[in-house]
Amino acid sequence: MGIRNVKTNLSSLTTMNSSPDQLRVLIASSHPLFAQGISSLLEKRPEMDTEVVGMVSTIDEAMDALKNLHPDLVIVDYDDDQVNREEFLARFVEGEGRLRVVLFSLKEGGDEAIVYDRRTMAASQIEDWLDGLSQRTGEPEPLPVEPDETPEQPKRRDSMRHLILAGLLVAVLIVGSYFLLTTIELLPEQASLQAKPIDDLFRLDFIAIAVLFSLIIGLMVYSIVVFRRRKGDETDGPHIEGNSRLEVVWTLVPLLFVLFLAYYGSVALGKTTAADPQPLRMDVIGTQWSWRFEYPAYGIISTEMVMPVNKQALLNLSSTDVIHSFWVPEFRVKQDLLPGEDFERELRVTPIEVGEYKVRCAELCGRNHYDMLAPVKVLSQADFDAWVEAQTGPVSDDPVLRGQAVTQQYGCLACHSTDGSEMAGPTWLGVYGSQEALNDGTSVTVDREYIIKSIREPGIQIVAGFQNIMPAGIGADLTDEQIEDVIAFIESLQ
Amino acid sequence: MRFYKLSLFRGLGFMLVGTFIGVVITILIRLLIGLPAWNAEPILVVGALFGAIAFMFGTRVMDDWFKWARGIDTPEPAEDSEAEGWKRFIHVSFDHKVIGIQYGLTSILILSVAGLFAMIFRTELAQPGLQFLTPDGFNTLISLHGIVNIGGILLGVAAMANYLVPLMIGANDMAFPRLNAFAYWINIPAIVMLLSTILLGGVDAGWTGYPPLSENLAKIGFSMFFLGVYLIGLSSILGGLNLITTIIRMRAPGMSYFRMPIFVWSTLATMIISLTATQLIGLSFQMVLFDRVFGMDFFNPNQGGNVLLFQNLFWFYSHPAVYVFVLPGLGIISELLPVFSRKPLFGYRWVALSSMAIALVGFFVWAHHMFTSGMADFLRVPFTYSTLLVAVPTGIKFFSWTGTIWRGKLSFQTPMLYVLGAISIFLLGGLSGPPNATVATDLHIHDTYFIVGHFHATMFGGYLFPFVAAAYFWFPLITGRMYSERWGKIGFWLMLIGFYFQSLFQMQTGLLGMRRRIADYDPALGVDFQQLVVSIAGFVVGLGLLVFITNILVSAKRGQVAEQNPWRSRSPEWYIPTPVWGHNYEKPFEVVGEPYDYGLEGSDYTSLGGVADTPADSAVPEPAAAD
Repeated sequence: MGIRNVKTNLSSLTTMNSSPDQLRVLIASSHPLFAQGISSLLEKRPEMDTEVVGMVSTIDEAMDALKNLHPDLVIVDYDDDQVNREEFLARFVEGEGRLRVVLFSLKEGGDEAIVYDRRTMAASQIEDWLDGLSQRTGEPEPLPVEPDETPEQPKRRDSMRHLILAGLLVAVLIVGSYFLLTTIELLPEQASLQAKPIDDLFRLDFIAIAVLFSLIIGLMVYSIVVFRRRKGDETDGPHIEGNSRLEVVWTLVPLLFVLFLAYYGSVALGKTTAADPQPLRMDVIGTQWSWRFEYPAYGIISTEMVMPVNKQALLNLSSTDVIHSFWVPEFRVKQDLLPGEDFERELRVTPIEVGEYKVRCAELCGRNHYDMLAPVKVLSQADFDAWVEAQTGPVSDDPVLRGQAVTQQYGCLACHSTDGSEMAGPTWLGVYGSQEALNDGTSVTVDREYIIKSIREPGIQIVAGFQNIMPAGIGADLTDEQIEDVIAFIESLQ
Repeated sequence: MRFYKLSLFRGLGFMLVGTFIGVVITILIRLLIGLPAWNAEPILVVGALFGAIAFMFGTRVMDDWFKWARGIDTPEPAEDSEAEGWKRFIHVSFDHKVIGIQYGLTSILILSVAGLFAMIFRTELAQPGLQFLTPDGFNTLISLHGIVNIGGILLGVAAMANYLVPLMIGANDMAFPRLNAFAYWINIPAIVMLLSTILLGGVDAGWTGYPPLSENLAKIGFSMFFLGVYLIGLSSILGGLNLITTIIRMRAPGMSYFRMPIFVWSTLATMIISLTATQLIGLSFQMVLFDRVFGMDFFNPNQGGNVLLFQNLFWFYSHPAVYVFVLPGLGIISELLPVFSRKPLFGYRWVALSSMAIALVGFFVWAHHMFTSGMADFLRVPFTYSTLLVAVPTGIKFFSWTGTIWRGKLSFQTPMLYVLGAISIFLLGGLSGPPNATVATDLHIHDTYFIVGHFHATMFGGYLFPFVAAAYFWFPLITGRMYSERWGKIGFWLMLIGFYFQSLFQMQTGLLGMRRRIADYDPALGVDFQQLVVSIAGFVVGLGLLVFITNILVSAKRGQVAEQNPWRSRSPEWYIPTPVWGHNYEKPFEVVGEPYDYGLEGSDYTSLGGVADTPADSAVPEPAAAD
C-alpha cells in the first residue's frame, strides 16, 4: 500500500472529526519503522491538527492505552502478529465510546485501508442513518467514505436539529410566559410618584424571569421528551465531561446581567428617594396596634393619614413600643418604624391619585398586627386645605366631644371598644361607675381616680382577664385636661 | 431490651427529674439572696437547662467520655448498639448510618408537626374573617411553623450528610463518632423546649423573634424558644466540625478533592457555614435571653438598646443558613442526575466550586433582609450588588444540570422525578430572588406573601424535593428493600402540582398587597380566591408528603428485596451488601478514576469495581487511616 493513499485516507478521517480539539491518535505496531513513519507523516501535516498520544507494540498495551489515553483514532498494522488484529477487533466491537480504527497493510500492496467507525446512536439518529443508506442503495459504497457522506454528518445535523427544536420551544415558552406575566394582574394601582421607577424595575424583572425560566424549563422539557432512554437500552449516554468555553460563557453573561440589574436597581432606588425642596412634613407614630399622624406645621394630630395630591410628603417615622412597618401597597414604598431615641427614619411619598387607601403594618407586631390599619385619604389641594381648616378650627365646648377627639388621636379605640365588644383592653361601654374584678383577686369601682391611675400608671391595677399592654408614654403625653376630657367621654358611654 | 433502658425514654425521664431539680435549686438560691421564691421565667429557664443536661446524662451518650476522664479505656464501638430492630433508632449508637437515620426520622417527624401547624392556619386563612383561631394562636402557629421547620431541615441536612459522607469517601465512620451521637441527641431536649412554648403562652414574633416584641415578659414561651434554637445551633456547630474533619482527613486513598462525589463537595461548603456562622444566631438569641432573664438592655429601646443590632447579628447567620438548607439538596441533584442520565456530570469542577462560591458570597449578603429597616442608602446599594452575585454560581449549577441531561439517556424512576421537580421549583425560587435583591422592588414586596412564595420555593426545590429524592434513591441501601414505585410517583405529582399552585398564588397575592404573618386579611385586596387556592394546594402538598412517609414506612417492612446497586451507580456505597450496620467497608478501597465517567468504557471510579461488576472483588491496597 502506498504512502500517498494513507495520506488521503488520513486527511479525510481528520475532516470527519467534529470536535474542535486535537485528534488523538494511537499507533499500534510492533515495527518501530511503521509507527515512526506514520507519526512523522502526521507531523508534516499541521493543518490536520493531530496528536500522536501513544505508540504501542502489543495487544495488552493497546488495550491499556485505549482505556487510559482515550484516542479518537487507532492506526493498526494489519500484518503485525503481536498486535493481533482479530482480538483487537473483537474488543473493539464490545466497546461503546466513539472510536475509529484504520487497519492497513504495508505488505499486501493494495490501494485500500479498512476503516471501522464505532459510534452509539439514538433511535432517531439510526433512522437518519438508515435513510442515508437507502438513498445510496445500488451504488457500491466507496471506501474510505467520502467526507460529505460520513455517518458523522447526520450526527452533526442531528445535534443542530436538537438545538434548533429546543430553541423554538424556549422561544414559544418565553413569549407565553411573558404574555402571562404582563396580562395577569400582578401589581395594585400605581398611586405614587415613587411607584413608577419601582414598577419599571418590576417589568425588567418579569422579562428576565420569563426568559430564564423558559430557557431552563424549555431545555429540560425537550430533554425529558427526546432524550428518554429507550426500552431495553442498557447502554450509557455519550461521555461528555463538560465544556469550559460554555462554562465561561454562562458565568460571564449572568455576571454582566446581574451587574446591570444592580446598577439599574440602584438608580431606581435613587429615584424613589429623590427629595422635593418643600415637602409636607408628617410624623408617623406606630403603637400596638394603631397609627397616629401628626402635622407639625398645622398642629394637627389624626388617626387618618390625609395628604394633598401631587405634593411630596416627608414622613418621619417612629414607634412607641415594638417594630412596625409603614406600607401602603398603592404607594409601593415601605419603611419600618423603630422604637428608641435616635431611631427615627424617613420616607418620601408623593401621591399622584386622589383616592382612599390604607396603611397596613407590614412588620409582625403582636396580637392585632393583622388589624393594624389606618385610612389614607389623598385629597386635592383645596380639599386638603378645607380639612386642615376643620381640624384646626375652634375647640369644642363639650368635654365629651373633646375627649372623643383625644381618644381618636391617641389610638385608644384600637384596644378599647365603645360598643361592648371584646378587644385587647376592657370595653368602655358602661364601665364608668361599675365594679370590676382585678387580676389580683380584689375589685375596684371604676371612677375618676381609677381611670387617671390606669392611664398614668397602667401596670398597677389590671382588670381580670387582661394584660397590661397600654402603650408606654401615653401616660406622660396626655395633659390633665385631656384626661379629664377622656373621663367625660367614657362617662358618657352608658 | 426493656423500654426504660432505651436512650430516648431514659433521657426523657432524666429530663423530667433534671428540670424539677433545676427549679428547686433556683428557688432555693432566690430565697437565699432574698428574692421572692417564685418568678416563673428565670426558674423555668434554669430548670430547662438542667433538664437538657440531665437528658444527655440519661441517654448515656457521654459515658465513654467520663470513662476516659477517669482513665478507663473503652473498646471501639464496633458492631453497633445492643438495641435491635426499630429500637436501634431510639437508642444511642455511634454508627454514623444509625445516627443518619435517627436524624432523618426525627426530621420527618418534626417537619410533619410543623406541616400540621401550617394546615391549621391555612384552614383559618382559606377565607377572610377570623374563624376558629385567636390572633395569638395564629401568631404562635406561624412562628412555630417557621422555627420547627428550620430545625427539621437542619436535622434533615445532618441526616443526609451523616449517612452518606463516610460511605461516599470510603471511611468507616465519622472522625468523632461519640461527638456525632452527642450532636444528634442534644436536639431532642431542644425540640421538647420548642414545642413546650405552646403551653407557655406561645410566641408571637415569627421565627425571627425580633426584639423588642420577643422581649414581652408576659410570654414565657419566648425563653424556651430561644433556648431550644440555641441547643439546635450547638448541634449544627458540632456536626459541622465533625463533617469537615471527616472529609479532610478520612477520604479513601486516591480520592483527591476533585475526585470526591459532588455531594461531599456541597456538604463541605455547607458545614463551613454551619461551623462558622451559627455562633452569631446563638449570640443574638443569648443576648435576648439575658435581656429577659437578667434584665439586661441590649435590645431594650427604653434604655438605649439597639433593635437593629439584633437584626444584623441574626441575619449574619440566618442568611448563610439558607445555604445550609439548600446546598446539600443541590448536591443531591448533581449527584443523582448523572446516574439517571447515564452521562457524566457536566462541568464537575465548576459545579463543585460553585457550591464554595455560594457559601462564600452568602456571608456578604445578610443586610438584604433589612432593606426596609432603615439602613442608609450607601449601605443598601452594595448589598444589592453582593446579593445579586449569588445568582452567578447558582446559574452555573442550573446550566450544568441542563448540560448533564442534554443528550443523555434519561429514565424516570421516582428519585429522578423528584430531582427534576426540584430543579424546576428551585428555579422558580431562584428567579423570584432578584426582585428582593434590588432595593426599590424590595420596598414593595418585603414582608409580603411574595417573600413567602419565594422562600417556600427555595426550600421545596433546594431541600424538600431533593431530600425525598435522596430518601427514595438510597432507600434500597438503607433498608435492603425497594419502595413502591407507583406510590412514589403518585406522591410526586401531588407534591409538584400542589406546590406550583401554592407558590405562584402566594407570590401573586403578595404583589397585590397581602402582608405576611396576618391572621386575617382585608377582602378589599381581592385575594380571597387566591388564598383559598393556596390553602387547598397546601393540603395537596401535605397529602403528597403523607404518601411519601407511608411509602417508606410500609416498604421498609414489606417492600420487595432490592437487588444490588439497582441504579447501576458508580458510587462506592453500592458495592457493599445491604443493609449494613457497623463498619462500612470490610476492606478499604482505592479511588482509581473519576466519579461520574458514565459512558466511558472500562472506566472505574473505585477499586470496588465498575457498574457491571459484582461487589468488592478487587485487590486491596494499604488500609486507609481511619479515626
